Amino acid sequence: MENLDVLQKVVVLLGCLYLSWRIVRYIWSFLDVGKDPVIVLVTGAAGQIGYALVPMIARGAMLGSDQPVILHMLDIEPAADILEGVKMELMDGAFPLLKGVIATTDVNEACKGVDIAIMLGGFPRRKGMGTKALISKNVGIYKTQALALEQHADPNCKVLVVANPANTNALILKEFAPSIPEENITCLTRLDHNRALSQISANLNVHVGDVKNVIIWGNHSSTHYADANHATVDIGVGYKSVRELVANDHWLDSEFITSVQQRGDAIIKARRLSSALSAASAACDHMRDWILGTPKGTWVSMGVYSDGSYGIQPGLIYSFPVTCEKGVWSIVQGLNIGEFERGKMDDSARELIEEKAWAYSYLH
Amino acid sequence: MLGPEQPVILHMLDIPPAAEALNGVKMELVDAAFPLLKGVIASTDAVEACTDVNVAVMVGGFPRKEGMERKDVMSKNVSIYKSQASALEKHAAKDCKVLVVANPANTNALILKEFAPSITQKNITCLTRLDHNRALGQISERLSVQVSDVKNVIIWGNHSSTQYPDVNHATVKTQAGEKPVRELVKDDEWLNSAFITTVQQRGAAIIKARKLSSALSAASSACDHIRDWVCATPEGYWVSMGVYSDGSYNIPAGLIYSFPVTCCNGEWTIVQGLKIDEFSRKKLDLTAQELTEEKTLAYSCLS
Repeated sequence: MENLDVLQKVVVLLGCLYLSWRIVRYIWSFLDVGKDPVIVLVTGAAGQIGYALVPMIARGAMLGSDQPVILHMLDIEPAADILEGVKMELMDGAFPLLKGVIATTDVNEACKGVDIAIMLGGFPRRKGMGTKALISKNVGIYKTQALALEQHADPNCKVLVVANPANTNALILKEFAPSIPEENITCLTRLDHNRALSQISANLNVHVGDVKNVIIWGNHSSTHYADANHATVDIGVGYKSVRELVANDHWLDSEFITSVQQRGDAIIKARRLSSALSAASAACDHMRDWILGTPKGTWVSMGVYSDGSYGIQPGLIYSFPVTCEKGVWSIVQGLNIGEFERGKMDDSARELIEEKAWAYSYLH
Repeated sequence: MLGPEQPVILHMLDIPPAAEALNGVKMELVDAAFPLLKGVIASTDAVEACTDVNVAVMVGGFPRKEGMERKDVMSKNVSIYKSQASALEKHAAKDCKVLVVANPANTNALILKEFAPSITQKNITCLTRLDHNRALGQISERLSVQVSDVKNVIIWGNHSSTQYPDVNHATVKTQAGEKPVRELVKDDEWLNSAFITTVQQRGAAIIKARKLSSALSAASSACDHIRDWVCATPEGYWVSMGVYSDGSYNIPAGLIYSFPVTCCNGEWTIVQGLKIDEFSRKKLDLTAQELTEEKTLAYSCLS
């Protein structure tokens, strides 16, 4: 009898606590304590990728549908009118999450207070231009932008470099913005990652959302290695390895890799313009997963500062498989690397070491 | 457009000269690995494109080229919209919702309605949300407030230079509650002239700056139009949509005319009982007149 009494009291107490909590939450919801806006910088914003990216950011595709943003758009003087036109259109979009827009050609104004920086701007590859020449044109740009971010951006600023040569541009940026934590400087290989997922999904005739855990190793260039060895497909009653389902090692070790590497060219051939839509979408995916976390059991590819993992020389920006939690990425460790993979990963690392040497030669 | 829980299948249609570019768009959509996108068709065949369609956004049409007369643009588009209407009539889902964007939007929508009689006339609309959002943007800039705090402007009439952006019922959320825009702006001269022409000519201003027309904001407002129609307008808000007129506000019935509407359960309803002053009356009638003329011109092109 006494126990029943105590039990009754406990139940009543729990009930009251629960109701009180519900009432507090209900009242709290009226206080409209929305999140503070995050300042997002987009350089090269007057270009194609920028035009696709800025409405995605304004709609919440990058940081979530409850995160207000302020956009800082930067481009060069010849593009000032176009940039102003983009700002006008953003205003005309009446986006509820967009709490402010700056359109400027002044890198210092653009970098002020920035929490997130997406670097689309850079000297584009001209016909016949080799990578060494491309690097020589971009080193000065990324040094200047690094100095501006160093001086004016939020000290915890997260940076994503998209403009090619992405890995090496990111490395230059890191060198000249020493206050920004090195783990906050990354480059985009998510586009290649997503392209790899889509090639597999097309081959297996499954939905791309059911394929996961491909890896893009290395440089965002023709030496990147699209690795399906650890990738899986959701078959409804569990996961099966891609290698097993594709049942065509030859395809996975040759055509699959080259089709991912050459996808950019295939898009240019079809559209007569490069892949702005998918690049912008991949940039959103990269940032969103970094900040909001990767789903359990899933990893993504990001170009990050190498720490020696998988025998890759430290001090490069190299694409690895990573998981993200609470705004921090971690390289997925312990994956089995066979001889074929080793060769590909080292080729890409060698290319990055060469690019690094060229970049440094242009700085002195 | 339809919310973060709604999977979609995209049917993209364009003309044969654009087939490769369209395929490039399909490739990019697949490469973006969108979880909600359950399928993509890229086609130059209107029948394949229209099969089982629930929502149709008509961006395609004959663009006005330099030196073209209105009658020429009209006649080109009338035949396009007649054939697309037949395809939708025969192959789309019965309750298909249609949004016409390509200009002349209102009249293209009217032609579509005429030749797709199985589609409920309530389900055929045209886009004036872009102008509506532009008007909100101009007010928010003038008052230095967030655009999300401004509401209930109205775009009356034709999506053309005779559209009438009306702020007489628009309000702004302030610390002291909702206040009328006229009261806060305190500049009737501006509201009755420069503001109106700025909104009317915003398209041209964007072209001047970008050297290209306003794709980003047009696409965004198309999403807003469909989203509010399908998922409902928030309480206390109305939006502008070009819809089949039923005689409300003494506008001739049988035109596709932009009205203030609220949306609930997938249906729009014209906001009734708003006071129309003399100045506004003239503007409402002017744009109705232009639409009546366009209708006559369109029908003459058909015969």
